[in-house]
Amino acid sequence: MKQLLKIIVWTAVAALGAAALSTIALHRGEPISATWFVLAAACSYLVSYRLYSSFIAAKLLALDNTRATPAERRDDGCDFVPTNKWVLFGHHFAAIAGPGPLVGPTLAAQFGYLPGTLWLVAGAAFAGCVQDFVILFCSIRRDGKTLGEMAREEVSKRSGFLAQLAILSIMIILLAVVALVIVNALKSSPWATFTLSMTIPIALLLGVYLRYLRPGRVLEASLIGVALVLFVVVAGQWVADSPAWAKVFTMSGITLTFAIIAYGFAASALPVWLLLAPRDYLSAFIKAGAIFSLAAGILLVRPQVLMPPLTRFVDGNGPVFAGKIFPFCFITIACGAISGFHSLISSGTTPKMIQREGHARFIGYGAMLLESFVGVMAMVAACAMTPGVYFAINSPTSIVGATPAAAAATISSWGYPLSADTMTGLAHAVGEQTLLNRAGGAPSLAVGMAQIFSSTIGGERLLGIWYHFAIMFEALFILTVLDAGTRVGRFMIQELGGRAWKPLGRMNWMPSTLLSSAIIVGAWGYFLYQGVVDPLGGINSLWPLFGIANQLLAAVALVVATTILMKMGKLKWIWVTLLPMAWLVTITMTASCQKIFSANARIGFLAQANALAAQLAGGKVAAAKIVETQRNILNLRLDAVVTAVLAGMILVLLVEALVQWYAILSRSREPVLQETPYVATQWAEGD
Amino acid sequence: MRELWLRFQRAIRGLWAGLRQWCGDSAYETYLACAAQQRGSKPLSAGEFYVEQLNRKYSRPSRCC
Repeated sequence: MKQLLKIIVWTAVAALGAAALSTIALHRGEPISATWFVLAAACSYLVSYRLYSSFIAAKLLALDNTRATPAERRDDGCDFVPTNKWVLFGHHFAAIAGPGPLVGPTLAAQFGYLPGTLWLVAGAAFAGCVQDFVILFCSIRRDGKTLGEMAREEVSKRSGFLAQLAILSIMIILLAVVALVIVNALKSSPWATFTLSMTIPIALLLGVYLRYLRPGRVLEASLIGVALVLFVVVAGQWVADSPAWAKVFTMSGITLTFAIIAYGFAASALPVWLLLAPRDYLSAFIKAGAIFSLAAGILLVRPQVLMPPLTRFVDGNGPVFAGKIFPFCFITIACGAISGFHSLISSGTTPKMIQREGHARFIGYGAMLLESFVGVMAMVAACAMTPGVYFAINSPTSIVGATPAAAAATISSWGYPLSADTMTGLAHAVGEQTLLNRAGGAPSLAVGMAQIFSSTIGGERLLGIWYHFAIMFEALFILTVLDAGTRVGRFMIQELGGRAWKPLGRMNWMPSTLLSSAIIVGAWGYFLYQGVVDPLGGINSLWPLFGIANQLLAAVALVVATTILMKMGKLKWIWVTLLPMAWLVTITMTASCQKIFSANARIGFLAQANALAAQLAGGKVAAAKIVETQRNILNLRLDAVVTAVLAGMILVLLVEALVQWYAILSRSREPVLQETPYVATQWAEGD
Repeated sequence: MRELWLRFQRAIRGLWAGLRQWCGDSAYETYLACAAQQRGSKPLSAGEFYVEQLNRKYSRPSRCC
């Protein structure tokens, strides 16, 4: 009877999900309620968790709760700490949820709501969650080894090196692109710039408090910090209203670029307790609060989704970034569907803290489903504004024009009606001078979030506060990614450089710290600067590069997972990791080829460089612009080289894996698994 | 009724403990409990443990994109 009831309930959930998905897929004409999106996503996630993840847990991985985990065997109270599964879920989710699932779907909304939403739901269920879950399992069985270590031991030494190189590449491009998102959100905005600047002294204050006054009392320090941050969000309005102070905090893109580069260097070189850690605590609390509020806001307000399911830009000529749905939708939305970076978390702290192997399903698969849900909410928030406003915020001036009147005329001519007054009025309502040319996703998401929040509390009157709260929330945890990433990049450079020159590898030697910090900051700072001066807005070239790098790392993770599963003799179910891997290789290779070789100058780096070179040779460039044009040509060629290197790495990795798989399948080499031997758990079943 | 009240108290205590564990507030207590079981070197002070733990945490990828 109980079994029958279960079947009925799960059939009803599946039917409801199918109905909601059909509604959003087949709906045409009138706006559609966001409730359908929430229902479609929630039901799909529930069904995939109930069926697919339990199939993977039972058949593919055969999770064994009688086996002691690294946290039990090596419990040291520091690294290896057995942790309650709900707490560890929170830890893992806080670590994997960054700006990616918010920014990616917002950018992909230029195709309409449908392609991005379907990819978020299906990509998470069949690829992203699988990657996170399987890599977590593999790392648990190897005492919490990292992805690079597993690649080296299970695939080949060269794969281990490639994994390290992929991690460093993604780190550099990721840091540049997230910094660009901040620059585009803060430029010419004294309110937002003041608010974010003030988070630095607040973090320093908390750092001293936590280090000397109340060591390790994170909760009370974070509460003080959150209160101060909320105060500076409000105080930002007073700064913006004061002509003298507004002038101080009104900065151009270039000024902000150098400020962020200097900040990244300081965060990497200063003691970690002073700036990085307290900012991370602040960011974690505000992130959790803002994501929960956005979910509650969407459920309460149930906004109408005004963006059509498909826009005219499915033809590849989108103003935000150029390229067709395939492959660009799938690399633009990385983190909400599948992100290679997650494999670093799944093979980092989490496997050292897990109590039972069986918890890997809830933590690995479940946390990624929640991240995907955040992506769907970001999609709803971006699509809840009128399409004209969305395109005005996200399009570069070189495409839509620099004034509200010109932008309104261009965007209206695309079939998305917009008046200049709408943009001027909206900018005024949120306390900004202008909202035009703010590509990067953060401002449009902030407008969407502010509209949802203000419909719940405060109405139009609080629109400006909500907008700047949303900007602060996004910028705060982007800066956290930036400083944490710069520091890790510094360690990687010290480790790699130490092989060539030993003193560089000494982590606590100040000249080595400063030099390696300068190298990593210089690397991402160069790409950031290039994005800021790019006439097409920077996002057009940098976000696809980031997507390719991130999906490359996911391909590395899935190659490692597939190899381990083959060695475990799980050939019958190998498609679980093999198919998403094949899909990732296909999309990254296609995107790489198009970004390098496409004859369309808005897509192909070389075509654009050649077009600029021809203009230069033909004397069509004004004298004042010659140096700038030469620099743009160099940058485009550099981007083409970087893309080619990333694609080359995928090919080498694939060949390495194929050789290894052939040896396993043809039995020419005995497969050797590097698992830690079985040790029975000493804990009772209910522990 | 009393049973319900006790359950409620237990749930609140559990939530509070979970929140402290999630944000790292109780990390030093966990470390001391573990160190007490292992003989040998003197445990670190709260300040030393805090810095040591942060240095370890932020030397590897800890925050995703």
